[in-house]
Amino acid sequence: MKPSMKSWSFSIITIALACTGGTADADPTELFDQVGSILSRRCITCHSDQDAMGGLSLSTKEAFLSGGDSGSAIDAAQPLDSLLLEMISGPSPEMPKDADALREEEVALIRQWLAAGAKWPADKRLEAQQVTDLNWWSLKPLHAVAIPEPNPSDAAWIRTPIDAFVIHKLREQDLEPSAEANRRTLIRRLCFDLVGLPPTPERVEAFINDSRSDAYERLVDELLESPHYGERWARHWLDVVHYGDTHGYDKDKLRPNAWPYRDYVIRSFNSDRPYSRFVQEQLAGDVLWPNTIDGIEATGFISAGPWDFIGHAEVPEEKLDGQVARNLDRDDMVTSTMNTFASTTVQCARCHNHKFDPVTQKHYYSLQAVFAALDRADQEYDRDPQVAEERSRLRDRLSELESARQQLEQSVREQAGEELVRIDSALKELDAQEQKDNRADFGYHSQIESKQDVVKWVQVDLGESQQITEIILVGAHDNFNNIGAGFGFPVRYRVDASNDAEFSDDVTRLVDFTDQDVANPGTAPQTFSFDPIETRYLRVTATKLATRSSDYIFALGELLALNAETKNVAAAAKVTALDSIEAPARWQKANLVDGFYSGATDSPEGLSQRVDLNRQRSDLLKKSVDPKTTQQLDDNQQQLAKLQEKIKLLPARDRVYTGTVHSGGGAFRGRGHLGGKPRDIHVLVRGEITQPGDAVGPGTIPIIADSDWRFDLPSDHSEGERRVALANWLVRHDNPLTWRSIVNRIWLYHFGRGIVDSPNDFGRMGQLPTHPELLDWLAIWFRDQGQSIKDLHRMLVNSATYRQRSDYRQDFHEIDASNRYLWRMNRRALEAEVIRDSVLSISGKLRPEMYGPGFRDFVLERPEHSPHYEYHKHDPTDVATHRRSVYRFLVRSQQQPFMQTLDCADPSQSVAKRDTTITAIQALTLMNNKFMVQMADDFAIRLETADESPSEQIRSAYALAIQRSPSPEEVELLTKLAEEHGMANACRVVFNLNEFLFID
Amino acid sequence: MASDIMKKKTVSPSAQDRITRRRILHHAAHGFGGLALTAMLSSESRTKAAETGSGAKLTVLHRPAKAKRVVQLFMSGAASHLDTFDYKPFLEKNNGKESDFGEPIEAFQNGLGPWLKSPWKFRPYGESGKYLSDIVAPLGECVDDMAFVHSVVGKTGVHSQATYLQATGFQRPGFPGMGNWISYALGSMNENLPSFVVMPDRRGFGSNGTKNWSSAFLPAQHQGTLIRPGTDQPIRDLFAAKNDYVTDASEASARGILKQLNEQHAAERQFDTRLEARIRSYELAARMQLAAPDALDLSREPKHILKMYGLDHGRDTFDEKINEVEETDYFGRKCLTARRLLERGVRFVQIWSGNDNSFPRRNWDSHENIERDHGPLALGMSRGAAALIKDLKQRGMLDDTIVLWTTEFGRLPSSQGGTGRDHNPFVFTNWLAGGGIKGGTTYGPSDQWGYKPLDRSNPTQVYDIHATILDLLGIDHTQLTVRHDGIDRRLTDVHGHVVEELKS
Repeated sequence: MKPSMKSWSFSIITIALACTGGTADADPTELFDQVGSILSRRCITCHSDQDAMGGLSLSTKEAFLSGGDSGSAIDAAQPLDSLLLEMISGPSPEMPKDADALREEEVALIRQWLAAGAKWPADKRLEAQQVTDLNWWSLKPLHAVAIPEPNPSDAAWIRTPIDAFVIHKLREQDLEPSAEANRRTLIRRLCFDLVGLPPTPERVEAFINDSRSDAYERLVDELLESPHYGERWARHWLDVVHYGDTHGYDKDKLRPNAWPYRDYVIRSFNSDRPYSRFVQEQLAGDVLWPNTIDGIEATGFISAGPWDFIGHAEVPEEKLDGQVARNLDRDDMVTSTMNTFASTTVQCARCHNHKFDPVTQKHYYSLQAVFAALDRADQEYDRDPQVAEERSRLRDRLSELESARQQLEQSVREQAGEELVRIDSALKELDAQEQKDNRADFGYHSQIESKQDVVKWVQVDLGESQQITEIILVGAHDNFNNIGAGFGFPVRYRVDASNDAEFSDDVTRLVDFTDQDVANPGTAPQTFSFDPIETRYLRVTATKLATRSSDYIFALGELLALNAETKNVAAAAKVTALDSIEAPARWQKANLVDGFYSGATDSPEGLSQRVDLNRQRSDLLKKSVDPKTTQQLDDNQQQLAKLQEKIKLLPARDRVYTGTVHSGGGAFRGRGHLGGKPRDIHVLVRGEITQPGDAVGPGTIPIIADSDWRFDLPSDHSEGERRVALANWLVRHDNPLTWRSIVNRIWLYHFGRGIVDSPNDFGRMGQLPTHPELLDWLAIWFRDQGQSIKDLHRMLVNSATYRQRSDYRQDFHEIDASNRYLWRMNRRALEAEVIRDSVLSISGKLRPEMYGPGFRDFVLERPEHSPHYEYHKHDPTDVATHRRSVYRFLVRSQQQPFMQTLDCADPSQSVAKRDTTITAIQALTLMNNKFMVQMADDFAIRLETADESPSEQIRSAYALAIQRSPSPEEVELLTKLAEEHGMANACRVVFNLNEFLFID
Repeated sequence: MASDIMKKKTVSPSAQDRITRRRILHHAAHGFGGLALTAMLSSESRTKAAETGSGAKLTVLHRPAKAKRVVQLFMSGAASHLDTFDYKPFLEKNNGKESDFGEPIEAFQNGLGPWLKSPWKFRPYGESGKYLSDIVAPLGECVDDMAFVHSVVGKTGVHSQATYLQATGFQRPGFPGMGNWISYALGSMNENLPSFVVMPDRRGFGSNGTKNWSSAFLPAQHQGTLIRPGTDQPIRDLFAAKNDYVTDASEASARGILKQLNEQHAAERQFDTRLEARIRSYELAARMQLAAPDALDLSREPKHILKMYGLDHGRDTFDEKINEVEETDYFGRKCLTARRLLERGVRFVQIWSGNDNSFPRRNWDSHENIERDHGPLALGMSRGAAALIKDLKQRGMLDDTIVLWTTEFGRLPSSQGGTGRDHNPFVFTNWLAGGGIKGGTTYGPSDQWGYKPLDRSNPTQVYDIHATILDLLGIDHTQLTVRHDGIDRRLTDVHGHVVEELKS
């Protein structure tokens, strides 16, 4: 039976509960403590003063006694018939809703308490349970750890301090380390691990024959200096921050300016940016290092995850759906920040206090407050530092001129007096009205054309022939492609009047700009007056369309036709057009005459009012301002114009998609129009947008003892200061999470398993560290020795632990099957990107170009509406796509099937550790996918070009792909295959060898 | 956040061990990557509870199962309940009158015109006398096998979030769909075919694309496998891409050599089950190459069956304008393919009707004109769906196959722009048939307008539908959990009640 929601109805109990008496065998206060604990664990989330579902609150004695919508919770006369008991007991109790029933002993306690008179000490208030206990390994402060003293016999094995920790644990478990792997294995391991590509046969030979004692360390240094190192390790980071090149959700539109963040990550790894700087830049680089390229591009971290386009661009913040979308958007920012840098799952506290970790809803929403001013949007900047400098110089000059201008204008105001004040305030009022009337019903929009000279028209039917004297056209406003005002306004056009709907005869030309380009007027009304004319139809014909992105359109915000009484006779007229995209509410024919447009005022009179006021203003200035001031003002204006022209001539500004204060139009306005003031953030009861609780300011989680989790910021702080506060909190010396988190991540990628194997969750639901002392030692060492990730790599890969063979041993396998104590190296499967990059490299096709927009291994169809990403139409011989996989354009809604089958990271979720699966579909993909089939053919051509005999070619194939010489038997088998069926078939086999796809 | 787990105060050491073990099993690190597949392979000789298949998470079902397969029909774009299955005489009487919902209402596109009756007539069918509109009349013959739920409510009027909610139980990306969970729980009944198959609309994917059936944090073999019947390449990469060097002979020879070389490699690296699993995966792939084309070959179906699914029209081209013959062909083809796959042991089939938003409309999002889009789409859908139900029934398969019809939300009883309807996440319809479902049922009526459930305090949510389906499959929805980033996740989040009224 599905429980119906029995409602508690409101009634007041007047009988004093104490009268009911009770059993004598339990201390009433102690009994209440036990019952109170049950109620606060199981009931209070839905039945508190903040959120009294069914009208019932259990926060206080009074609230409890007053009951809920369906009556009193307690029957004073017959306590065992109380509604409370009825609700929670029986074979399928109604409460708690959506959760397991109370345990029998819990129900029994409540029964006993009721029977004993339901004593509730007056001062006891029940609160939702929260965890405050910091007694958990990851929340304990980092304290110096001594490196264990090894057994004398083990001392020789130790190469770096981590070995001392590892062998100490091994000995505890009666295990011992494996022997060092051979050089062929080591170079293969190091190359795939550090740069993600196979070594050349020459490099392998050189390493094997390098007799220097530090040949290994030299190889490590060499690989860490390779630019490919950053490409390899950036990919790990991008997994965690769920970076993608499309928005995801409905439509999954392209995000063409996300890639500069990806490049920032690659550069950061290659330049070995100190970790605290890396953290700070990603959260607040734009504030801490303003006008630096890294500082701006790094904040692509905040915007890296998915974004609900419809929920933002089509649903305004005033609507509930709009608020839900924005709440979930901030949730993604908070979750990503805290999972990535602090390995804490704060997201559990969106709907209720975290059940295991010391994170309450208040803390969670205080983190939302940190990001409350932000949206995900493009930000303009100059990627070229020289241009950035020049622009900054010109801007300085511009502000000088502008302040000079302000002084001159002040002088003008003094000279022109009260009259000018009156005119200007009237104009200002009109402007304010204009703001108010900005709406999302943009106007009429034609179909999209690939040529500019296609002729389009739209016309209105005034219903009957009538006299008009003036036409006003107003451009539309749409931020698509950052066009804004004047969106789709034709470059050449005419306006005709006729009484014939077809305009085949009786046509009067009212406006004609068909033989000259007109400057886009933005949304300034274009007014055309003429002698009165009797007409029923008015047609606007565009003869040269407006540019949209790489295509052309005709759009118009509003058409007004005024008669002699300045009445707009076109209001709500019937509109027809040659064609129209009809995408309500923004675009539809009817919007052309709906009275809503940029600058619309209550009436067309508002328009003429503006024209009139401007005329009055210029007359006034002419007669009351002295000629010298006028001259200076003119000079200033000319200089300003010149300067603005210069600024215009600078290369167009670049764009990067970041977490930023957005200034937009339509539904997606952002907080720019409010000067970047953060949105008010409230605790949301049960995460419901309709149930706001207390307001919260910016803060974090209370895990550093003696330190306030609320950020202490001045009352007039900017939004950026909130992000700086969070970034600085994360990189605090005494933050127990940050340093443990990063060293554990790096460890995971080298060893295939983290010291803590839940890298995003160091909380009570996560895994325990296998080597807690080692983790702390590494964290402290890393924090205090320059926070160099490259040094950390050296510490790990130069160790004896890392250099072990990966072979299994039956006896050790029985003690530690999953190799948690590292008695051998883990054999690892190559990741999707490494397979693809290596196949390209081995086939001789890999292109070395770094950075820039992602390559697209799909054909993009219908990008103007809902883009279709057609992977199956992509040509695998397209060299533009033969770059490293980190530069792949990452689509969220449809992952690249080849990569997805090989377990690549899903850009819609943070992937702290990849799954590795083995499926029949993978086998099919590796054998049959067009990329693999093509590359096997290219590999064969490469081999055939280099060597004469098929057996030599097979030897080369082995050296290139698996870094060893084949056995005579292997040569024979593959040579035979090549001779009978072609070398490409042999290459296809090599690409499917386990020996290629796994690193020992 | 799973409440059952949340109740535990701390994780005991034994729980830690279990988690560790589960992690290893599922995340397949350190020498156990092949477990999923090795388990699947070893199942060939294994004795196990008969209900669950190979690779199943559950070795023993939580309760006796009434069904073992599911077909989900998903109408993308939000199909109108008011023009199909939820008859509202009120709208016929008050058509054109100013709408009044008795409370302020926030429409998605501000489309709140007057009351709008359905352009189609409703007539009663079957012994249950269920009223259906003329565009779903083909289902009239099946109503006594079907159970309608008219009180389904969503949480948002945004297509994307709403589609996620209906497909995965969560409003955000990053969660497995029902098919993924069921594949994970029950495994495969035919190792030569995938356990979860998805047939998208030919015009493209719905909202969220492939994310609606991606395995998210479940192992990748539970990902939905795309099959596109009637196209050049119904299953991606089943055979070698176009080339001039692979022949049947080369293929046989290459496979043999690959096996030999990989076996040699594995022999030198004992105890690593992944290596063996990869070798077997190629054998499985080869078997799939034989089984899949056979399953998809509709030419083996007799004429009367093709006719039943509306595939006897004899045309190879269709009008450019949206039309019912074409819609019937595409939907019917997918339904017939579904039956053939189910027969061969595929566990879960998901069929999509309608793609994402585009112009001209080819989905159920009829803001402008209900008649234009819903007419052909619904006729095509109902012919295919009716044929599938009848066909399963005549083969005795309806008894243990659940058919679920759903959409992301409904449409408003008021008009938008005269002939269209805006979004209605406040109430819409699902129907189920087969596998333990009580036929001839109408459960949870909507109010007189079809605006909200009649009993507003007792709505049906997607969690309840999911819980009921899992229940019929023998799974307790609160027990099927996977820990991900510190949270024990389940299909029904912390919600869900089995709707007993729907069970036979």
